[in-house]
Amino acid sequence: MIDTLLSGQLLFAALVTGSLYALIALGLNLVYGTMRMLNVAHGDVVMLGAYAAFWAFTLMGLSPLLAGPVVALMGAGLGVLLYRGVFRRLLAGVTPSTAGKIEGNSLLLFFGLSILMQNIAALAFTPNNRAYAALGEVYRIGGVAMTGNRLAALLVAGGCSIAAALFLSRSVAGLAMRAVIERREAASIVGVDVDRVQGLSFAVGFGSAALAGVLMSMLEQFSPFSGFPFTIAGFIVIILGGLGNVTGGLLAALLLGVIEVYGVALTSANLRSVLLYGTFVAALLIFPNGLIARRVMAR
Amino acid sequence: MTALLKVQGIGKRFGGLIALTDVSFEVPAGAIVGVMGANGAGKTTLFSLIAGNARPTTGDIQFAGQSIVGLRPDQVCRLGVARTFQIVKPFAAMTVRENLRTAAMFGHALHRTARAADTATEPVLEEVGLAAVADQPASTLTLSGQKRLEIARAIATGGRLVMLDEVMAGLTPTEVTQMLDTVRHLHSSRGLTLLVIEHVMRALMDLCERIVVLHHGQLIADGRPEDIGRDSQVLAVYFGGTR
Amino acid sequence: MASTASDRSFAALTAAGALVVVALPFLGNDYVVGVGLTVLMWLALTPSWCVLSRLTGYVSLGQVVFYGLGAYLVVVTWQAVPLWLAIPAAGLLAATFAALVGGPALRVRGPYFVILTFGLAELVKFSIMAYEAASGMAARILFGAPDLMVIYWLMAVLAGMSLLLLTWVSGSRFGHGLRSLRENEEAAETLGVPVERYKLLAFVLSAAIPGMVGAVMALRSTYFVVGQVFDPMVSVTVIAMALIGGGDNARGPVLGVLFLALLSELLWAQAPLLYMIILGAILVVFVLLVPDGVIGLARRLRRAETLA
Repeated sequence: MIDTLLSGQLLFAALVTGSLYALIALGLNLVYGTMRMLNVAHGDVVMLGAYAAFWAFTLMGLSPLLAGPVVALMGAGLGVLLYRGVFRRLLAGVTPSTAGKIEGNSLLLFFGLSILMQNIAALAFTPNNRAYAALGEVYRIGGVAMTGNRLAALLVAGGCSIAAALFLSRSVAGLAMRAVIERREAASIVGVDVDRVQGLSFAVGFGSAALAGVLMSMLEQFSPFSGFPFTIAGFIVIILGGLGNVTGGLLAALLLGVIEVYGVALTSANLRSVLLYGTFVAALLIFPNGLIARRVMAR
Repeated sequence: MTALLKVQGIGKRFGGLIALTDVSFEVPAGAIVGVMGANGAGKTTLFSLIAGNARPTTGDIQFAGQSIVGLRPDQVCRLGVARTFQIVKPFAAMTVRENLRTAAMFGHALHRTARAADTATEPVLEEVGLAAVADQPASTLTLSGQKRLEIARAIATGGRLVMLDEVMAGLTPTEVTQMLDTVRHLHSSRGLTLLVIEHVMRALMDLCERIVVLHHGQLIADGRPEDIGRDSQVLAVYFGGTR
Repeated sequence: MASTASDRSFAALTAAGALVVVALPFLGNDYVVGVGLTVLMWLALTPSWCVLSRLTGYVSLGQVVFYGLGAYLVVVTWQAVPLWLAIPAAGLLAATFAALVGGPALRVRGPYFVILTFGLAELVKFSIMAYEAASGMAARILFGAPDLMVIYWLMAVLAGMSLLLLTWVSGSRFGHGLRSLRENEEAAETLGVPVERYKLLAFVLSAAIPGMVGAVMALRSTYFVVGQVFDPMVSVTVIAMALIGGGDNARGPVLGVLFLALLSELLWAQAPLLYMIILGAILVVFVLLVPDGVIGLARRLRRAETLA
């Protein structure tokens, strides 16, 4: 038992899971940061990305590594379309006082969208599980057996997440994005093109979700209803890491990967969902505002 | 005669920020006392502490001889303390009458039925000038109307101490005069005790028989309006020295 | 204040409905009674949900957890505890769960409360699944369950209770306090409403009847699979029905339930996916365009008429 726990194998698994969660949470964070609405349908974009990679591989023989960037771009395009078509108008009309009322309802709206996406996909693709085998060669690094697909997932997801975090903290565009996330009205006053930043957030948000789907499709079997657990995982990560905080999300994602992998190893596979939802409920109850406590202004 | 409200050595810190330090003053029953100070001086924090929306870090607050520190806002209200909010918080989807109904049912007056509550709030609607819009949703009121609603709700609780937080803000000079009349009338007809935060100097000096001045969370003056206008500390803070 | 004309027509509708409920078992075959049972079930579940979520604005996406807990209690105590004891006990179990969880849960606001309730329901589901798996139970079967008519009458009683509960709360001082805290919680508390106590009470009240509904429905299927009983779509359907109806008294749920239950009867057997798609579309359309439901729409139209 101890051998298994201390093995590099388990650590590798935790890192792979964690990096996937980090990529998913990144998108959720950016979309939330811009809209201040929780996109419950985020995991379903992941699911669509998985299907895209699946069809690319089985119909065109395209390797997921090549399909990845293409699907990501398609996801980004979808994000921009949704922003321009629906959300730009919705966001423009919201004031701080109406925001609270809309927030609760908006969750139902996204839930409805999620149900629509899942069932339309089920109608189009059949509800059956899908899987395919790609990049299955085994590499031995440091005594740990890593399949090509897991390694690729770790490198791509991890790399993108870290790159995004660096982009946000180091670049000027990233600074603009962080400003909009922090306080939209103030950002626009100091000259930030809020519209462009919001559009970019949607693009990166949806694109990264689609990319995560491509990576996920290499590792697990999936169905039209697989998206939801990823949404939940994404929520856990952004709540633990701080809403809108991408760097915090990276750390929280790793933590969740560790909890999940090591938790299942210590107990049993049956408890995977219990651990996931248990962490979720605990996170929300301990951080009831969902936000890292900000400095309070006294009058 | 014991004061209706006694604030003793009140201090409040939010993490590293100290909002109030060692503030003490008394409000006799039936008085109109003003609270003056620049933005950030701690005025609204003071109201929040008295009403129970926040808890003081140090010190005691006594209402009618009873300590009210640590009580929940609804408990403080039932004892007889009511406040308005500087940023108005109407029950937007409810009518004006229904807004007052809540106050009359759950405040100090504790009316048990809607009918009893509505009967009790009818005169309040008249006095505050909202009778014409009584059955319209609160969201349709103008800012002036919503400020009146805040006052009406506080009055409708039936409380003895009513705390008004910048009810003149954003009003035109004519509206300010009207509001002053309304407040004075409410005070005398109902035998209320008023604690008033105000930035509009004319209103403050006109209305109050006594003013306390806060600066950076500390009480720097406490006296009649004329004396406050001559106090060297107040002048130093507001004008940078004697005229 | 609604006009007496619409009050009268709703009273007439209710009386007619009650007549149908009573007459159905004598007039129809098992299939018709089954449909009636389904409608009664939703009529029992939805108004209870409204007591919390419509009146306080704390939208719960986890209503099914009370249903499932009630069902589980009956299944686990089958043959050991008589039904006349187990069914009320199921309601009590659900209410107790709500009382324990409600305190911390209701401190969470807005959309976070929505996903929290969802997460809680799923957590309870997976925990029971893990426990059943660990004890070696794949599914449970109940032998000797009472027949359809008994279940039908039990559900009719529960539906009546639920509608009465919502009507009573909606018109009471308690209900006015709930509405006030829905509009602005801080202002309500400052005006004397004991917000925490009221929220918790609403939560507990919203749990009791669904617990008993779950208990009764467990008898109907006699075959208990945890994953199916704790189906999140039950929670979503309740919300959709309340959303379609609108308002915060008993009228909305009745309209919404009738519409959606009949729609699902038409589609479920032939095209379940299509039904789900319509359900999703209803959520989207109603939240975006008709957030106060049919009742709210009617009220707005009436107001526009009187002003014109």
